[in-house]
Amino acid sequence: MRTSFKPLAAGVGGVAAALLLWQAASGARAAGGSLPSVGSVATDLGALAGSPDFWSALAQTVGIALLGLAASGLGGIVVGILVGSFEPVRYATRAALEFLKPIPPIVILPLVVLILGPTGQMSWFLVFLGCLLPIVMQTVDGVHSTDPVARDTARSYGMKPVEILVRIVLPSAMPYIGTAMRVSAPAALIITVVAGLLGGGPGLGQSLYLAQAGGDYPTLYALVIVLGILGLLFQLGTRVAERRLLHWHESYREVAH
Amino acid sequence: MRTTETAPITTTDTPVVPEPPRLDVVHLAKSYGSSSQKGDGGKKVIEDLTFSVGAGEVVCIVGPSGVGKTTLLKCLAGLQPASSGYAAIDGRTISGPPPEMALVFQDYSRSLMPWLTVRKNVILPLRHLRLAKAELKARCDEALEAVGLSHAENQYPWQLSGGMQQRVAIARALAYRPEILIMDEPFASVDAQTRFDLEDLCLRIREDFGMTILVVTHDIDEAVYLADRVVVLGSKPARVLRVVDVDLPSPRDQISTRALPEFAEQRTEVLALIKRPA
Repeated sequence: MRTSFKPLAAGVGGVAAALLLWQAASGARAAGGSLPSVGSVATDLGALAGSPDFWSALAQTVGIALLGLAASGLGGIVVGILVGSFEPVRYATRAALEFLKPIPPIVILPLVVLILGPTGQMSWFLVFLGCLLPIVMQTVDGVHSTDPVARDTARSYGMKPVEILVRIVLPSAMPYIGTAMRVSAPAALIITVVAGLLGGGPGLGQSLYLAQAGGDYPTLYALVIVLGILGLLFQLGTRVAERRLLHWHESYREVAH
Repeated sequence: MRTTETAPITTTDTPVVPEPPRLDVVHLAKSYGSSSQKGDGGKKVIEDLTFSVGAGEVVCIVGPSGVGKTTLLKCLAGLQPASSGYAAIDGRTISGPPPEMALVFQDYSRSLMPWLTVRKNVILPLRHLRLAKAELKARCDEALEAVGLSHAENQYPWQLSGGMQQRVAIARALAYRPEILIMDEPFASVDAQTRFDLEDLCLRIREDFGMTILVVTHDIDEAVYLADRVVVLGSKPARVLRVVDVDLPSPRDQISTRALPEFAEQRTEVLALIKRPA
C-alpha cells in the first residue's frame, strides 16, 4: 500500500464514479425510461429546495423519526434495566424477545393504520415499536455486563439498590445502549418513510408516493437522494453523540502516550 | 517473641490487645455450592477462622494463594453471608455492609468507575451520606492530598498508572472516613518503589486517622513490616495456623526496620509456618 493514501480524496472519487455510472446507465436507457439523467435529478433537487411543501415534509419526517427514537430510547432503557435487573425475568423474556426481534414493524402497519389512521401518530408509533426491542435487548445485555467488582464496591460503601442502578449499572450499560441507538437511528428514518409510503403517514414517504404515482421520476430520485443524505446525517449525529457520552469507553479513549 | 496457637487460645490472649476487639471473627466458615445445607456437598473454602482485631491495630492476614482470603474479606464486608460462625464489629454481628467499614478491592482497575474522574470516583460513595457541599469538598481534597494525587483529580482512572489507580481507590476509602479499613492485596500489582510508598501511606493513615486496618497480603515481608499482628492462614480449606505478634519498634522505616534482626526472625517464623503447615 502506498503511504500517500488520502481517505477524503478516495471518498470523493468514489462518489464521482457512482455518479458517472448512473449517468452512463441512464444514457444507455438501461432501465427503459425510468432512470432519469443526473442533470434532470439535480434540477429537480434545486426545485425541491425552493418548495415550502418539501421543507415541511422534511421537517415532519425528521420530527417523527426523532420523536419515535426518543420514545423507544426512554422506554427501552427503562424496560431493559428492569428486565436485566431480575435474573428470572431476564430468562423468562429472553425467548420471546429473540422471537420478536427479527419481525419488521411493517407487518403490523395495517393494524396500526386501522387504529390510528394515516397520521403522524401512526408513523411515530411504528418507529417506537420498531426501535424498542433492539434497545431493550441491548440494555438488558448492558445491565448484565456490569462488572461485579464495581457492584460490590458500591454495595460495600453502603449504596442502596436504586443508587447502584443509577450510578453504576446505567453508566455500565451505556456502551450497549449507545450501540443500539446508533443502529436504531437510521432504522427510525426508514420506518418513518415506509409508514408514509405504505401507510399514508405525513412526510417524505408521502412525497415519494405522490411522485411515484404521478410518474415524476426526476422528483422521485431527488427525494431518494435527500433521504440518503438524511440517513448520513442521522448516522453522523448519533456517532457524535455517542463519542461525547462515551468518551471514557475503551473504544473512544484518547490516551496520551 | 510471643505467639498464639490456633483458634480457641486466641480468646485467652485478648489481654495482649490494648482495647476490646473492634472486629471479631468467631468460628467463621464458608462453603459454596450447597449454601442452604452447610457442610457436605458444597466446596468448603473456609474451615474455621477465629481471630480479632483491636481498635487502632494493623493486622495482616497471610497465607498461600487461593486460600480463601478474598472470600473472608467478602464475609467481613457483609457482601456475602458466612455459612456458619460469625464476624462482628463491636459485638454486633455483620449481616450487611457495615457503615463504619471501607473495603479496598484487589482489583482496583475494576473497582474504579471509568466514566468518572478521579475526584468523582472519590466522591461516589459519599453522595448518599448527604454531606454539606463544603464538607464533601474538604474530605475529597484531604483524601487526595493524603495519597499525593491532588494534581490528578480531573483525570480519568484509565489515564493513570496502576499505582496511581490504587492510590485513588485508597483515597476513596479515606474520604469515606471509615473506622475500619480493609484492604485486599492492595499493593500486589505495583512496582517496588510505589509499594514501599503505599505501605508507609497505610501506616500514616493509621496514625493520622486512628483507623483499624486489616490487610490481606501474600507478601510475608510486607505483612511483618505493616502489622502489629500477623494472622497466618493454612489451606485448604482455610484455617488459622497461628497469630504472630510482631514486636518491631514504631514508627517503622523501610530501610532500618527491614534491616533489624528481629524483622528477619519474625519473617522467618511466618515463612516457616506457611512452608510447613504443621
